[in-house]
Amino acid sequence: MRLNVTVNGRPRQADDVWPGESLLYVLRERLGLPGSKNACEQGECGSCTVYLDDVPVCSCLVAAGQAEGRQVRTVEGLAEGDRLDPVQQSFVDAGAVQCGFCTPGLVVAAHDLLRRTPRPSDEEIREALAGNLCRCTGYEKILDAVRTAADAS
Amino acid sequence: MTRLVGRGVPRVDGRAKVTGAARYAADNEIAGVLHGFLVMSTIARGEVREIDPSAALAHPGVVAVYTHADMRTLTVPGFPYNRTFIPMQDTRVHYSGQPVAYVVAETLEQAQEAANLVRVRYRAEPPVARLADAPDEPFLPEGFRADQPTETVRGDAATALEQAEVRLERTYGSPMQHHNPIEPHTTTAVWDGETVTLHESTQGVVFTRNVVSAVFGLPPADVRVVSQYLGGGFGAKGPVYPHTLLTVEVARLARRPVKLVLSRAQMYTSNGHRSEFRNHVRLGATRRGTLTAVIGTSTAQVTRTDERTFNTNDSAVNLYACPNIHVRQLGVRLDLPTSGYMRSPETTAHFGLETAMDELSYEIGIDPVQLRMRNLRPTDPQNGRHTASRHLPACYRMAANAFGWKWRNPLPGTTRDGDEYIGWGMATETHSHNAIRSTVALTIGLDGRATLRTATQDIGTGTYTVLTQVAADELGMPLGQVTTLLGDTAFPDASLSAGSSTVPSVVGPVADAAQGARDRVIALATTDPRSPLHGVPAEDVDTEGGRLFARGDRHRSDSYRDVLTRHGRPVETRSHVENTRGHSFGAVFVEVRVQPRLGTVRVSRVAAAYDLGRVLNHRTARGQVIGGVTWGIGFALMEHTAVDPNTARVVNPNLSTYLVPVSADTPSVDVAFVDQPDSGSNALGARGFGETPGTGVPAAIGNAIYHATGRRIRDVPFTQDKLL
Repeated sequence: MRLNVTVNGRPRQADDVWPGESLLYVLRERLGLPGSKNACEQGECGSCTVYLDDVPVCSCLVAAGQAEGRQVRTVEGLAEGDRLDPVQQSFVDAGAVQCGFCTPGLVVAAHDLLRRTPRPSDEEIREALAGNLCRCTGYEKILDAVRTAADAS
Repeated sequence: MTRLVGRGVPRVDGRAKVTGAARYAADNEIAGVLHGFLVMSTIARGEVREIDPSAALAHPGVVAVYTHADMRTLTVPGFPYNRTFIPMQDTRVHYSGQPVAYVVAETLEQAQEAANLVRVRYRAEPPVARLADAPDEPFLPEGFRADQPTETVRGDAATALEQAEVRLERTYGSPMQHHNPIEPHTTTAVWDGETVTLHESTQGVVFTRNVVSAVFGLPPADVRVVSQYLGGGFGAKGPVYPHTLLTVEVARLARRPVKLVLSRAQMYTSNGHRSEFRNHVRLGATRRGTLTAVIGTSTAQVTRTDERTFNTNDSAVNLYACPNIHVRQLGVRLDLPTSGYMRSPETTAHFGLETAMDELSYEIGIDPVQLRMRNLRPTDPQNGRHTASRHLPACYRMAANAFGWKWRNPLPGTTRDGDEYIGWGMATETHSHNAIRSTVALTIGLDGRATLRTATQDIGTGTYTVLTQVAADELGMPLGQVTTLLGDTAFPDASLSAGSSTVPSVVGPVADAAQGARDRVIALATTDPRSPLHGVPAEDVDTEGGRLFARGDRHRSDSYRDVLTRHGRPVETRSHVENTRGHSFGAVFVEVRVQPRLGTVRVSRVAAAYDLGRVLNHRTARGQVIGGVTWGIGFALMEHTAVDPNTARVVNPNLSTYLVPVSADTPSVDVAFVDQPDSGSNALGARGFGETPGTGVPAAIGNAIYHATGRRIRDVPFTQDKLL
């Protein structure tokens, strides 16, 4: 199929797409947006989290055909030009980034949390990020980053 | 002089990572790339009788299905390949999940679907998968590294144990575990004539190049390996694995670039694991708690083809001063993949020693911290040299104070909060680090900017940041004036990022190259009549903020940029500085809450203190502590690869059944550093550290569970079934 999808505000097209292939594959291999990461292929780790029509989803679990005509926002679309989103800035400042592979998914998940709940409790932060696995940081600095971003916005 | 080293400056690569701009090995756009997918054996022992690729070949987009019949004979490489055969060279199957065919197709989904369509017929033999099921006696393998012998003897441990006033004999165990870096293994092989470039997820671009060069008979210069960013390795990406070699060969056969990304499930048989482990520990001591004998006999899994074991019993030999030691590391042959190094491999045996020390403290009736203090010596017990453990008492003191250890009632089962039993436990943390010869090149361009190039890599620990700090300080430049380039064999050879070796190996050469470049630029200025510094003695010139100043008359100044512009050519230096192997140390105290009706354990508090020599960056060092403690929590409470004893297959090859800690499992960690430079390390007084934090955590948690409940559990993970 020819896939039409708006990604980070820009209308994009991809040809010869098998409707069953993952949105993650389309973003990474067809649209040149490798920020979203492949890590488990089955929705367990959260590294591929993107917005689909303003709802965070694991893009590895969304079929390309399901994205037809819809809006996708990836980690590449959070900053405004050179100005990082407060969530991104606080991840850098708090030392919440180590290897960085889970970071794109965590940044999108945290961004979504603060959109819905601008002043989350610690329990709400832990719950919101429980679907995002990190193997390096041990989470403490990630929680700090979300608290800092909440204070900044 | 020092302005940046020691400070917790944020990561220089942080921005690239939070915006998705950082390019990991699978993120590169390669024109005409094919996607590969491995067909893995479904039996653990036997032979491939027939492979029928017809259905796979008929699938849309499939370009080829390669089997052993298509492969050239490849040379089995040496360290760090760690095994004696390459799959798909013949029909023999040594473990379940061994590659038997390799599909390449235009898209990933096509390759994956076609891999499912390849029909393989086997002749199967019954496998053996557990230490307990092995029919053969454990044997003592030959050590494969001179610095890691499989047997250590000091004094006469057997006699000393027999004569000891107090004796303790226990067996401790841990299951198979998997690294599970969040980034899956990936290789993209791109041939250009007789040269090949690999975009590889690796902790060692130089090792990978050397192995590929040996296997394919290529000059090292004809193999380039690139790994700009790595999504975690933890030892899984330290050695070179078969899938990398197969991808290089398949790309040659297909005459197109091939990208392979292992699936999460495939990562449970493709890249090593922490072996199932049994540790039989015997301690002899005086009634006052002085150790007189330590006998440790560990048993790990090896394979039918290989004898290498990776979980050395370092701490039993090196940590406590005991005159009589006998440590052996035995192997048992099983039909499983070759095991390997997994973050802090010394934890595996250390869990037994540090639990035994806790048991001994109760046996004798003294505080577990006092027992350890009584057995510390300021010299390395193996060679009599001074070691850095002279700061270990400070670690115990700092962490114990932060934790509030003095308020502990030592009687087990005495502290409750509602339903929950509360327990406090502690352990010593220690791990060795390596030092690997490393060379760096530093260039100061006409724009006055410095660029550092070296073929080590940043696996997430903060290497880009720390090396930039060191170079900027020595040059007298702001952080932003220095660019560090890593992870490419086009740069000078440097350390593997494993064995906590990056800082001790690379920091010295970076400092030396930067000092050399600064001195050259100062000499250019002071000998140039056009420079305001002309005629000033070189030793009277300071550098700061990208400028050069005459000491005592800071109005006479020049800048790197102006000096280099006048010079008209870049200034280049290279350096290598050798360092030595060593150990870092610490102490960790934990509080657990045990729910007796459910058998659940929650770690509610952790305090830890460390001696790693000089701390180059408090933020990245702290990151290693929190991450390491979290690994210790996973080791203690949940991580367990389940292998079916009948088929020798991993039955939980995914992240929903192989549990790793999530944000709800981890408390905040109170971290302190002694932060005293180690005069024996030429990495600005810093030692390797990454693998020290967490080594004592499994024992500390088990000791806390005993304190909470009076139940001593000697097998991890401490799951509910063991506590009900």
